[in-house]
Amino acid sequence: MHPLLGQFLEKWVWPTAPGAGGALFRRRITEEKCLKGWEVALHSSLAEIEKGLASGTDDWQRRVALGGYAGEGVQMSIKQMSAQLLSVDLTEQEKYIDLQRMRARQVWDECKHSKLHAEVLMAKGWIKDERELLQNSAAHTQPLPAYFGLSMMFPHIHPLARAAQHYFVEAIACLGIAAYIHLVDDPMTLHEHLSQRDEELMHFMEGKYKIDTYCTTPENQKPVEDTLDFLLHRLRVSL
Amino acid sequence: MPTLKINHERCTECRMCYVACRELNLNAVYVSLEPLHRLEIDPHKCTYPVCTVCLAYCPAEGSIVEAESGRWVVPPPPDIHRWWLKQATGL
Repeated sequence: MHPLLGQFLEKWVWPTAPGAGGALFRRRITEEKCLKGWEVALHSSLAEIEKGLASGTDDWQRRVALGGYAGEGVQMSIKQMSAQLLSVDLTEQEKYIDLQRMRARQVWDECKHSKLHAEVLMAKGWIKDERELLQNSAAHTQPLPAYFGLSMMFPHIHPLARAAQHYFVEAIACLGIAAYIHLVDDPMTLHEHLSQRDEELMHFMEGKYKIDTYCTTPENQKPVEDTLDFLLHRLRVSL
Repeated sequence: MPTLKINHERCTECRMCYVACRELNLNAVYVSLEPLHRLEIDPHKCTYPVCTVCLAYCPAEGSIVEAESGRWVVPPPPDIHRWWLKQATGL
């Protein structure tokens, strides 16, 4: 296991509140499903960064910033998070009110991502202002089907499906950030990622909390496992 | 018994501690009536070290400390968070 993953597990994954009804379920899915995906994603991030650093220029940082702007820009984020808010049925909103509040707050969190990428592009002199990005297709195109809302439509629409995405995917974000901080000493790239460290970890904690708190019955555990399987399939990880 | 307090130099005000504490109906974490409306922990309602729920889900390193010693308890040190492993493995 890579030391960055080991450190992440020890500090943030294994600690659990006493009496948390879903804790043993979370440990099982972590060991059986998540760890392999996290390891693959971390090595992929490290390899990408090392390849960029070995290129001898900083153009790779420009591409990362443009890709980040396209992948998590304002329009994408509002659409994604709005769809997540809609996944809780009216009759269940009282039961899942904390999930709703967390998602509403995340609309703001997500919309801020694009600013960090734009700041890198401006500070490095690649653009004069954010308006220029409107004319740059690289800042608005990305390979995922999310532009049509497909990436947020899990095969199992359930209020707790998002918990699996928070737990599994945000951990990947945390590990990617750890990889950048570990390997890159460029101040603007550090700014781009360090600013996100606590926020992504907070979203990971949302998932961890929801699984520990709500996934106490087979009925509530199934949508989380289904979503994890879907996410692992997208990563092409076979268990 | 040690008590907990928020370290405002590290806290990001994400409110995970507030949500988790309220879920258990302890309500020891509250929003203070001061201009910044920061989160605080009421030592009279908090049952630490019996309950450590706020520590388990806080994402900001060092943002909750033991008031008496100043010890950082986020992320929770092993002596605080290993209960469930012990329970599961019998160690």
